[in-house]
Amino acid sequence: MDNFLLLAAIMLCVSGMAWLALAMDVHWKQVNSGPLPAQSVRSLRITGYSALFGSLACCLVVDHATMASLVWIMLLAGSALTIAFTLSWRPHWLRVFAVPFARAN
Amino acid sequence: MSLKSSSSSPNLTPAHILGRIGAGILGGYVFVWGFIALSLAGLYAVGMPFHDAEAFGSIIGFLLYLVVFLWAFAAQSMGKVWLVLVGSGGLMTAAAALIQHSLV
Amino acid sequence: MFQNFRLSMAWLHTWFGLVLGFVLMAVFFFGALSVFDREIDRWAVPESRFEPQPMPSFDNLLRPIFEKMQPTKTDIEQFSSRANGPMPEHFDTPVRWGAYTTHRDPVLNIFAGYEVPNAIHHDDAIFTSSTIDPRDGRIFPDDSLKIGSQFFYPLHYSLNFHWMDLGYWIVGFSSLIMLVALVSGVVMHRKFFRELFTFRPNKATQRSALDLHNLTGVVALPFHFFFAFTGLVIFAGIYFPVSHTQLEQLHDQHEIHEAQVTGLPHDRAGIAAPIASVDAMVAEAQRRWAERGMAGDVGFLALSHVGDENGYVSIYRAGTDRVALTGEGIHFKASTGEVLREDPPRTVVANVNEFLTGLHLQHFRHWLLRWLYVLGGLAGCVCIATGFIFFVEKRKRQYVKQGSQNARVVDALAVTTVTGMVLAAVGMLIGNRLLPGTLPAGWPPRGNLEEYIFWGVWVLAMAHAFWRSAPVAQARMNPAWVDQCFALAFLAPVAVVLNWITTGDHLANTISAGYWPVAGLDLALLVVAGLAFIAGRHLRRKTQTESATATNQLGSAEVQHG
Repeated sequence: MDNFLLLAAIMLCVSGMAWLALAMDVHWKQVNSGPLPAQSVRSLRITGYSALFGSLACCLVVDHATMASLVWIMLLAGSALTIAFTLSWRPHWLRVFAVPFARAN
Repeated sequence: MSLKSSSSSPNLTPAHILGRIGAGILGGYVFVWGFIALSLAGLYAVGMPFHDAEAFGSIIGFLLYLVVFLWAFAAQSMGKVWLVLVGSGGLMTAAAALIQHSLV
Repeated sequence: MFQNFRLSMAWLHTWFGLVLGFVLMAVFFFGALSVFDREIDRWAVPESRFEPQPMPSFDNLLRPIFEKMQPTKTDIEQFSSRANGPMPEHFDTPVRWGAYTTHRDPVLNIFAGYEVPNAIHHDDAIFTSSTIDPRDGRIFPDDSLKIGSQFFYPLHYSLNFHWMDLGYWIVGFSSLIMLVALVSGVVMHRKFFRELFTFRPNKATQRSALDLHNLTGVVALPFHFFFAFTGLVIFAGIYFPVSHTQLEQLHDQHEIHEAQVTGLPHDRAGIAAPIASVDAMVAEAQRRWAERGMAGDVGFLALSHVGDENGYVSIYRAGTDRVALTGEGIHFKASTGEVLREDPPRTVVANVNEFLTGLHLQHFRHWLLRWLYVLGGLAGCVCIATGFIFFVEKRKRQYVKQGSQNARVVDALAVTTVTGMVLAAVGMLIGNRLLPGTLPAGWPPRGNLEEYIFWGVWVLAMAHAFWRSAPVAQARMNPAWVDQCFALAFLAPVAVVLNWITTGDHLANTISAGYWPVAGLDLALLVVAGLAFIAGRHLRRKTQTESATATNQLGSAEVQHG
């Protein structure tokens, strides 16, 4: 159970960073051919931060607060690096994160 | 039009650079030593457990070392840095000695 | 010194970062390896490749070993400057016996301290340590160097440079500069949030190096800051020995007061007394922990004033499930086994201190967090290495114009502390497998030879880096980067193969048996080889395009002259 929760924490963190990156015009353009809709910037950010906090919640279920906060802060670092390198070498892998936000509401 | 004082223009002579480095490292060391000594003696004197006072002094002390080291290079007047760091470090060390004297 | 704050921070970051960066490379790299130091020990000492064990029986297994322990010649030699006159040949009065174990350690580390009648400082004791197999009490020869916990780990906090304890001070100062570099770096980096995910590998080296430097510095900023800071706090007693110098009287007065308050005697009574069953005390300690809802294993066991009426036994719970180290200490009267004291819950300050030190020293059981720590450490290495590369790239043309060799020197030192350092570590592992188990008489101990191999390979790497650095003086890349990458790509698998040949524990075996300490290091070596090969190939292509461009420029210049 713990391992599943930690896996969920990792996936939520990476996803959160992906959405936060996509909220920036320069990275949206690396991933998508269309423009970044103005309304999507806010929803991308909200989704991104929510995912990051969801990741923290998973960490807190597995370990007590002091340990969980260390795990989460390090996950933030690892996830940001993962997204940065993905944007540099395989940006189209992040398309799946952009799709729900591509068309303006 | 104001005159630019010599202390605000880039002064990159080896002597000045060494002076700044000295202020940061040595001045900083004296200052932090004084802070740790005064924290240890002072907090112990008012009832904090000995090792807690020691830990407190060290934890805050190293953060202060970072701050004063940066200040040694950012400050306009190097002389002021030396004076403040060595002066207050010396005062704090002396205060700690006085507290110890009154306790043992 | 400068017109504004940002400029002074930039100056600090550049020059202090450059000089101390070379030390910090070693601190971060070997610090990262130290996360798995005991696993590296298993690889280096094949006889210790068994499962972690709980603390064994004191009465039946440990006590006979302790009673026979005596300081070694090396221990005596190292103490001699702290004694008046010649050292005694035999030490009769043990002041402390200790045993320490973690959830990752199959072997047990034990230590004993003895009174030295003619010590300069009356309280000073001579210590000796030993490694034993907790299953049968077999003592490991001093000679089998635990490359992880006895070499890489101490290297990261002392550079294994013990003359006048200078290594500690160099690392300490570098750590302060690390904090300075982080703060000054943030001040300099204007697009902190905007460029959080920015890495443009296809741009010029100067731009992509700076991108990577900023990326690895920013995303792991809390890690870098906290590790440098907590490292300083852990060794505060060395850097600011206030309570053993200026405030020593206060410290000694406190110790006596503390002994009265806790009931744990400060000095020997001078009356001999037996030692009751320590196993029974351990059982009682575990019962009490379970009663408080925190059942656990023994992490640390210590006897003070051994054999004396005032003797007491201290038993601490292993901190496997929390960030703080050992805790919940319970102290027993040695001669009767009665409980003298249960350590009360920690104060706020003590908790903060234990959290900070425990976060750095990591005795907790959490494999994900450990690997994330390794990632953080390696990110720090990349940050520093790209800092060097950026420095050289930015300035090499101007140095060339000035006819200065500075770019060459910095670049050669960068090669030394990046690829050279990894080569030294791999070389040491290869030496560990190649050196015979028993050496001919008169030869230095096997562990010492392994250390010489480490330093020797590193010096060779440095010599090679300087020898090949001439192109940097013409603003081109040092071919030593490519050479050493390919050397690493070749040597790392050699270490894996040697482990297979000399111990039989090849990857198919260790992975299927789930013996991760050895499998993990073998796999890590193969990953290093792979990355080194890719890097070497990429850099070689870059050198070839570099010389092609240069030839083209020459060619077109000739045409122009026509």
